Amino acid sequence: MTALGRLYASLPGPLARAVPVELRYDLRARLEAWAPGDLGFVPDPPPAGPDETTGPPDFLVLGPVESGARWWLSHVADLAAVAPTRDPDGAAHVFDRGCTEDLDADGWARFDALFPRRPGRIVGHWSADGLSYPWIAPLLARAAPEARVLVLVRDPVDLVADRVAATSGTRAPHGGSNLADAVDRGFAGSQVARLREVFPPEAVRVLQYERCVADGAGALSATAAFLDVAAPTAAFLPRPADGVTPSAGALLDPTARARLRALYAADVDRLAGLVPDLDLDLWTTFAGPG
Amino acid sequence: MGDDSSPPPAPVGPVTVWQPDAVRPPEFVRRTFRGFPPNVRTVLLHARGDYAPWEEGYHAAAPVTGPGEVVGPPDFVGIGTQKAGTSWWYELVSEHPGVFDRPDLPKERHALSRFVTEPFGPAQVEEFHRWFPRTPGTITGEWTPEYLVYPWVAPLLAEAAPDARLLVLVREPVDRFRSGLTFRLSMGAPDTSATVADAVRQGFTARWLRRYLQYFPTDRVLVQQYERCRADPEGELARTYAFLGLDPHRPADVRREVNVSTRAKLPLDPGAEAALVDLYRADVADLAGLVPDLDLGLWPRFADVGSAR
Repeated sequence: MTALGRLYASLPGPLARAVPVELRYDLRARLEAWAPGDLGFVPDPPPAGPDETTGPPDFLVLGPVESGARWWLSHVADLAAVAPTRDPDGAAHVFDRGCTEDLDADGWARFDALFPRRPGRIVGHWSADGLSYPWIAPLLARAAPEARVLVLVRDPVDLVADRVAATSGTRAPHGGSNLADAVDRGFAGSQVARLREVFPPEAVRVLQYERCVADGAGALSATAAFLDVAAPTAAFLPRPADGVTPSAGALLDPTARARLRALYAADVDRLAGLVPDLDLDLWTTFAGPG
Repeated sequence: MGDDSSPPPAPVGPVTVWQPDAVRPPEFVRRTFRGFPPNVRTVLLHARGDYAPWEEGYHAAAPVTGPGEVVGPPDFVGIGTQKAGTSWWYELVSEHPGVFDRPDLPKERHALSRFVTEPFGPAQVEEFHRWFPRTPGTITGEWTPEYLVYPWVAPLLAEAAPDARLLVLVREPVDRFRSGLTFRLSMGAPDTSATVADAVRQGFTARWLRRYLQYFPTDRVLVQQYERCRADPEGELARTYAFLGLDPHRPADVRREVNVSTRAKLPLDPGAEAALVDLYRADVADLAGLVPDLDLGLWPRFADVGSAR
């Protein structure tokens, strides 16, 4: 990163946002002030402590922004046997370039170096794109073949409504592809099916965001059992679902909700076939007779 | 730096009437403008409320109907695929004397693109029809290549234009990916995982086509291969005309492709290329089932898919 890039990266939010949205990427590129998601971004491994070792993550948490995946990882990290994740925002984006470029040995090693932990503890990695960007899951499976995979799913209509609401009005160029990206992230059935092609099905566990909200203690115990670590001993302390904005779906125009319900219906059926304990009554859009 | 988590600014301004040439700047201003980098041009255009049809913020009202024109649902809509020769093919279709193509209207109208979470009812259908003026006795349409990968558009189009015929040009998906990504980056799209994902998404032709086939019968959807169109444009164009119910016609220069990229395609490492072939293989097999005359001999990377059929 250039000196100017460091200066730009240190700008407070309001000043950084003064740059027109259409020019922000160009500015980052010129200053080499890469942000997560930019293909030029190379994450710096955190310094490992003297008693820590590094290696591929023991578990993955996959789920897009607005799915509650980051929030759930923060709860999982409260378990005694789980090491704190040094990349809690899932910002590493190591495999973004993997669609056009082959990773060399340094690239694979850089991924491993992101996950220090002390002996006897396990560590996880959240990837927001690992489900919906189809080239990433095979690379994750190659990098962490022994990992257990938690997938956070949420009522897809709420998910897309919140994502559209969060990104609308930004005047971002290529808005259509942003919409398509938001809609695509709701097809959890096909994404989980694809995931089970690259990870053993028994290594993949699907969690409903809504169930985690309704019964956090139960969901965390189930998560601990899946990860083969001791159950939580402390009381579950719910905290706000960071990054999830639960209002836009409820405010959706009824005709738009009906259209989106029809759009996702077959995929939700597919997900229900793959995940027998999926509780559709927890999904407002799909509860009740279809 | 908070680029992607910025709070959204105020909603984009009021609806404007479609008047692309209402105020045409002098030539020296336009020449200067063209000299700016793409994203600087975009900033200047957005500052005056001028958004391209595919951008968020685009909300132009339908054009004023001209004298002697009538409006109604489009007779045909091209729905795909980006970087598969759609501008070239649309020009050839529009050159037919039986097709009405008003020169001030864009090939890509994107009139349905924004209706993911917005209401869509009779008023929106009526507005949509006003995008398709034509003189009596002619047919008209448009070609928005992204519609194919906008799965929410299929039912809207079926509601607003239930009798429309759909045109789809398909291209070998790995070639299309490289061309699409090169194109997007050359147009100023950021070099991000989201841009790559968009280019990947557009190659799953069968997945997206199946969505449209839920709403349109197969005999009203014509799928043609870009590679075959290049090899035999006269023959393939005759198929398109016949599908649209048009008499045979020979345009002046059928081989003059438009919007051809002259930029070097992005390099693709061998492992990444093999992974892309793996990624698309099942979709290509599915497409071959949906489109019996798909010639996989024209897609060498997927030759084994052809032999497995």
